[in-house]
Amino acid sequence: MTAARVLVVVPAHNEEASLASTLAEVRAKAPGVDVLVVDDGSRDATTRVAREAGVPVVRHPVNLGVGGALQTGFRWAYEHGYEVGVQLDADGQHDPAYLEALLEPVLAGRCDVSIGSRFVSATGYHAPWNRRLGMLLFSAIARLAIGRAITDTTSGFRAYNRAVMNVCQHDFPKDFPDAPLLITLARRGFRLCEVPVVMRERQSGRSFYTLGKQLYYPYKNLLASLMALIRRPV
Amino acid sequence: MTFLSRTQLITALGAVLLALFVLELVRRRKLSEEYSLLWVMATTVIAVLGFSTPLLTWITHVLGFLGESSTTFAFGLAFSLAMLLYLSLKLSRLGFENHALTRDLALLRDEVETMRHGGGGSAR
Ligand SMILES: Nc1nc2c(ncn2[C@@H]2O[C@H](COP(=O)(O)OP(=O)(O)OP(=O)(O)O)[C@@H](O)[C@H]2O)c(=O)[nH]1
Ligand SMILES: [Mg+2]
Repeated sequence: MTAARVLVVVPAHNEEASLASTLAEVRAKAPGVDVLVVDDGSRDATTRVAREAGVPVVRHPVNLGVGGALQTGFRWAYEHGYEVGVQLDADGQHDPAYLEALLEPVLAGRCDVSIGSRFVSATGYHAPWNRRLGMLLFSAIARLAIGRAITDTTSGFRAYNRAVMNVCQHDFPKDFPDAPLLITLARRGFRLCEVPVVMRERQSGRSFYTLGKQLYYPYKNLLASLMALIRRPV
Repeated sequence: MTFLSRTQLITALGAVLLALFVLELVRRRKLSEEYSLLWVMATTVIAVLGFSTPLLTWITHVLGFLGESSTTFAFGLAFSLAMLLYLSLKLSRLGFENHALTRDLALLRDEVETMRHGGGGSAR
């Protein structure tokens, strides 16, 4: 698909049920890219499923959360000389058919981070009201902070170039790498862009947004967004 | 001037016992010297205020509290809050360090495995 070296990083926590089909789909629809699974302290067969698919796995001995898994994946990508790192969920919600469109602006050097967005154009995505409210709130915050609209701050389908992957090593939100991350990156002068994608429903396994996390999310992300705005980038 | 009241006795005894317990924990290497300092300071304050009624009365008067017991409680509460804040700081730092170490460990283990399997790189 591309001459450049692209690594798809799949953060996975107890995803034995959907991982195999996700990996197979990436291989089928985007044969030119490499894949790395970061098993974030799973208690199920996530690692074995990935190995059986012939995909390299890096394992955290304990669970760190999506942010930590991405940091590990991006460092691996950086050290192995990849030019672009893609974040793709293990649960099958992100269709690898969109990889090419997602990668294009980053590979062409038109932006440093591209975000697969459900809202750039009508894509028929339906979220429960509380999530929709949160998405509206955080895209408004991103607009205030960055000065331009990011319609889908919560998208976990993104591509990052080398420079961004390097910065993510020492400055990255722990649990929800959403609006605060985008604000931090924009403040560092990285160019963000959005690419329309269609996301699917989770295929199996459980959503990681438990009730507790749903309540914690707005607090944490409001505070972290504010901090990303007032803190001098280190 | 004043006899030791029952309250004073209990306070003083409690302070001494706590101090001894803290020192014993240090001796057994269960508590680091660093953390023991806070507790030793706290027990000293309790003991001094417990023994010296004039001092306690004077502080109460200066701070405008309603009674000596309020002063004692206020100090206790302030100490507890300070200790809790200090502990959350330490805990956050431990968390950050743990996070970084876990990621490093995962990558190092991957590197070792790759080397063991003949440096084939990604394909495993
Ligand atoms: N590394 C890591 N990944 C996680 C953790 N929790 C979830 N994930 C992964 O993050 C991705 C997204 O998690 P989901 O629970 O699907 O979150 P979501 O897609 O925002 O929400 P849903 O719409 O409910 O699916 C999946 O690939 C999960 O395997 C975790 O604790 N650590
Ligand atoms: Mg999902």
